[in-house]
Amino acid sequence: MTALDPTTAQLPAQPKGGTPRSGQHTRLWAALLALPTGWMVAFFLSSMVIVVLLSFGRTQADGQPVFSTRLDNYAQLWDPLYLRLFLRSVSYAVATTAICAVLAYPVAYVVALHGGRRKNLLIAAIVVPFFASYLIRMYAWSALLSDDGLVNSLIVRLHLGGGVQFLNTPYAVIGGLVYGYVVFMILPVYAALERMDTSLIEAGKDLYHGPWRTFWSVTLPATRAGLFGGVLLVFLPALGDFVSAQLLGGPKTFMIGNLIQQQFLEGQNWPLGSAMTVAMMIGLTVIMVGYLRATATRSREAS
Amino acid sequence: MTPHPALSRRALLQGAATLGGVAGLTALTGGCAYLPSDAATTTTALPASAKAVIDGDLVYFNWADYLDPSVFTGFEKEYGVKIIQSNFDSMEGMYAKLQAGNQYDIVFPIAKWVQRLRAEGKLRAIDHAQLSNADQVFHSGSYFVDPWYDEKSAVSVPFTVYKTGIGWRTDKVGTMTNSWRDLWNPEAARRIYTLDDQDEALAMGALLLGYDVNTAKQSELDEIKKLLISQKKYLRGYSSDDVNNMVGGNAWIHHMWSGDFLYLRTSLVKKPENYDFQAPKEGVPINSDAYAIPVNAQHPGTAMVFIDYLLRPEIAKKNIEYLSYPMPVRDAMPAFEALAKDVPACNVELSELESGNVFRNLSADAVQRRTATWTDVRAS
Repeated sequence: MTALDPTTAQLPAQPKGGTPRSGQHTRLWAALLALPTGWMVAFFLSSMVIVVLLSFGRTQADGQPVFSTRLDNYAQLWDPLYLRLFLRSVSYAVATTAICAVLAYPVAYVVALHGGRRKNLLIAAIVVPFFASYLIRMYAWSALLSDDGLVNSLIVRLHLGGGVQFLNTPYAVIGGLVYGYVVFMILPVYAALERMDTSLIEAGKDLYHGPWRTFWSVTLPATRAGLFGGVLLVFLPALGDFVSAQLLGGPKTFMIGNLIQQQFLEGQNWPLGSAMTVAMMIGLTVIMVGYLRATATRSREAS
Repeated sequence: MTPHPALSRRALLQGAATLGGVAGLTALTGGCAYLPSDAATTTTALPASAKAVIDGDLVYFNWADYLDPSVFTGFEKEYGVKIIQSNFDSMEGMYAKLQAGNQYDIVFPIAKWVQRLRAEGKLRAIDHAQLSNADQVFHSGSYFVDPWYDEKSAVSVPFTVYKTGIGWRTDKVGTMTNSWRDLWNPEAARRIYTLDDQDEALAMGALLLGYDVNTAKQSELDEIKKLLISQKKYLRGYSSDDVNNMVGGNAWIHHMWSGDFLYLRTSLVKKPENYDFQAPKEGVPINSDAYAIPVNAQHPGTAMVFIDYLLRPEIAKKNIEYLSYPMPVRDAMPAFEALAKDVPACNVELSELESGNVFRNLSADAVQRRTATWTDVRAS
């Protein structure tokens, strides 16, 4: 088991070495793989290549970005301001990931182990709201949490206080990110819990007594792969997000995603935006490699 | 009330536009725009104007919810053609679609984009003699006979005009001085919003310091940056969602667009008397948009007829009441004045149009210097 379980699970199984397979079978697999591979090359890889190439480009006098071979864009990145934005974004993303994990476990646990016949219905109930566009959900949130909004009028009506300023704070931004991405944590954790042998929990209860110790020593380690997958799926988009900070943020919640967006829209500086994107991808790759190595070691130790 | 857009188009410009930016990337690749060509666009003779004769269904390209829906049905009924609608969410998105070769009969660019599209030869001439209502906007003394963005209005017909000012809650704030300084008003500390818009925010700082709204001088930009950073401790946020911030009670003072304010005051709030708008004495940015016909339009004749139809005072009046933006259609102006009778500052005067406080097309260098300044403000 590797930490990347949820993602690798989507790929078709590789023919195992040693098992004799007919040539027809191999061709079938090749044909089945050709379509997704072609799709990835056409729409994912090629756009990545354009971004990388453009990061060495420049902007013409008329505002059009063009390819070139200069390093100016990267030289411009050495600005302590950008580093501070990056650190701010990382801290928001870490907080988001942690809150998502804390929220996802009880939800996934209840659905997986106590959902019974309604399991699929419950999962659908969690997933369906996420069919609505992220942007729309953020707008809904800002309407709900505004000073004269539903939540605040309820607080006032129930005499719980004079109303709370939710919006335009770092907390609102993190809250928006959690709401936006929590489903990506729930699903892999749910999948791991569902696969787990429940007799392990019963054995754990016999061995350790209390439910807390059972959770820490049995359930959590057994579902680690799902958690690790969820952490990746939440952390990465949260770090690059700009919508939450734009719609719910205050004067000091600008994130790295907002910075990049600004270069592409108002800034007319796609080359600089591309260089920022590439630099961020490199930074994230370093973090990811470290993370994967650490989690892989732990998974090995656990098994 | 008529169904109105829930979000201001500016807010969408900020939010959803990002998706448009991505679409733009693909569109531009299609046009091979990445290969350098610094050759200046040659200004050739304008593609000739079409006659105002119906020549097919109308392919229409505009911001969402930007005309009264009854205007569409009225036109379809009267002329027996269909209007095929599509929308853009940013000027960049509109430009990318035109660049990619999409064919539209009528588009609605903002002033500086008219200038750019005309310089690139993407717009057809519009012969005023073909428009029976041309006199409504091009009468002598009208600013639009020869506006700054389109010499002699050869390729465009003016649609709406608007300005940027300050909206505020009269029930919450007592001290306003009719100055941009009011965006630093301690009485409303942490209840003030500045527009999350590079040009608007920099222009506000520039006007306060007495500089040109399009300034790209480094020394002036540095001063503007310092000034705007000093505003942070009074701000609740940067946002272009001015209408919703006011409606939701988050904002007591908001840097906002005149049309958005009037729409808020006339259509959304229970106590309009608690809301007021000022156009600060240091000067205000003025903007406008226009009707234009792309050079590759398949039905330019229908587009001419449609423009003529929109210039009819009774049709313009409908759109004014739907949008809350003033339009320079002579006989429809009283309708706007009636709508804005309690907040005359929402109207745009001729002297303001002539003030020169308009957002112009700048060189890529200048835009990048301005962006760097705005980034520093936002990030600090």
